[in-house]
Amino acid sequence: MTTATMNKSGLMAPPVAQTMQQRSLVIGVIAAIASVAGVFLAPGSFYSAYLIGFMFWLGLSLGCMAILMLYHLVGGAWGTVIRRILESGMMTLPLMFVLFIPILLNLPTLYFWARPEGLTDPKIAEIAHSYLNFNGILVRYIVYFVIWIGMAYFLNRWSTEQDSIVGQSTLRFRAMSSIGLVIYSLTISFAVIDWVMSLQARWISTIYGLLFIAGEALSAFCFCVVIESILGKRKPMSEYLTDTEVHDHGKFMLAFVMVWAYFNFSQWLIIWSGNLPEEIPWYVRRMNGGWETVALFLVVFHFAVPFALLLSRQLKRKARTLVWLASWLIFMRIVDIFWHIEPASHPTFHISWVHFAIVAGIGGLWMAHFFHNLRSRPLLAVNAPQTLRLLEPSHE
Amino acid sequence: MSEFSGNGPIPDSPISDSPIYGLMAEFDSAQELVSAAHKAHEAGYQKIDAYSPFPIEGLAEAIGFHKNRVPLVVLIGGLVGGISAYALQYWIAAITYPVNIGGRPFHSWPSFIIVTFEMTILFAGLSAAIGMLALNGLPMPYHPVFNVPEFAKASENKFFLIVFSNDPKYDAARTRSFLNSLAPRMIAEVPS
Repeated sequence: MTTATMNKSGLMAPPVAQTMQQRSLVIGVIAAIASVAGVFLAPGSFYSAYLIGFMFWLGLSLGCMAILMLYHLVGGAWGTVIRRILESGMMTLPLMFVLFIPILLNLPTLYFWARPEGLTDPKIAEIAHSYLNFNGILVRYIVYFVIWIGMAYFLNRWSTEQDSIVGQSTLRFRAMSSIGLVIYSLTISFAVIDWVMSLQARWISTIYGLLFIAGEALSAFCFCVVIESILGKRKPMSEYLTDTEVHDHGKFMLAFVMVWAYFNFSQWLIIWSGNLPEEIPWYVRRMNGGWETVALFLVVFHFAVPFALLLSRQLKRKARTLVWLASWLIFMRIVDIFWHIEPASHPTFHISWVHFAIVAGIGGLWMAHFFHNLRSRPLLAVNAPQTLRLLEPSHE
Repeated sequence: MSEFSGNGPIPDSPISDSPIYGLMAEFDSAQELVSAAHKAHEAGYQKIDAYSPFPIEGLAEAIGFHKNRVPLVVLIGGLVGGISAYALQYWIAAITYPVNIGGRPFHSWPSFIIVTFEMTILFAGLSAAIGMLALNGLPMPYHPVFNVPEFAKASENKFFLIVFSNDPKYDAARTRSFLNSLAPRMIAEVPS
């Protein structure tokens, strides 16, 4: 099959994508209205819940961008089949840019360093004076998003251009991605220091950014498996998505489950070994008052059980079995972020309906935006390397 | 480098009643080989094997991929490595030579995890390599397929399918005409 005979309209997303988009929008709008009501009905829960929802869905956008960059650098059929999913996922970044504004306008509610009583601690006052203050957060928030949206915009635009040009060099994708992955690692590290790590006053961890990088990559792969379980049964994805690629995505899930556990254990072991008063409060807070149950739940169901299950070849090879584990891990990603953020404002275990409303509200809008992006172009980048091979009849 | 998937008879126990090891067909492309392998498998041949200069996706399944036991060996190796590493550390730190380190319990499991993890990986990795060699019979100084001079090209640019003579459906004339129907470049009898 040649590009000339390939029917681009035959590669558009199936009607189910439109249905999903409409349903997502309905769920998103209803849950968003409920969330807004939460500002008044449950003000004590709203802002930390909002930060949890924001960090999870932002992580998914950025995870999609990072995996897309990884694909541009190393290539492979595993990435060609999910490339448009990743691109559509990362192009939700402008939405996340807007959704940060409520956090920006309510820093004192969330962050100790932004409150007047925080400034009575001389060390916090010093940090708040030089780095952690409204202007600093504002400037850095704009810088992070300009960089992220800029990189996503060009990778996405070039990808659209590639659809109409045969045999074009992929150099610019690779150049952008090689620099982009470095920039992404640095910016996300600074961003989580600003938005999440600083929730715990006076506490620092140098591996903190990596915890989020590993989690975001895991979220992105799980999300791709969920989408391919929906679209993979229908044309056109059923024509080119095979067990081999699903198997690869399963292997990536296993790798990132392990990387997530490895980074978390590294941080914990070093702090446990040192046992120093300035390092342990983060864990003391998160291993008391009911939060220890959540911590144990994470160890068992974000690492141990998924790890054991993902060792199975049969489970990894079929999208219809892998999707259960992928959905579960997406849920555990939210629990992980919940465990990072919520204990900072509540010393004992606390959850309210607002948490669910906000995760669903931001999520519904995110998904609607995602499906809108996905439907605007063919599901397969027709001129990408590997694409022709994927469409060959002998490709099993 | 040829891909040996080990469906055939064990070469160092030649079949006494037949000096023929099998019938070999040569193909020009990976696609032809995969489709020929599919047809042979569908035609009911069980003892077949395929050789190619590089790994081909779907070829193992086409010749009726059978499960191998390397994963089980690796799992056992990993468990043995992990359990013995933990037991060794426990024995040293809590039983034979207990030392008070910063007031922590002698059995401080968090500090045992790293060595346990590394030993799991080491034992699993070694089990994979040794288990692979033990189960596929390598190193193998003699193999009948090399009796066909053209087979040298399996390491370069040609693709080969072989039907072993111990296949229940094997019949010198009928198997030859079946292979002919696959339009190979040539067919050769492989002496054992």
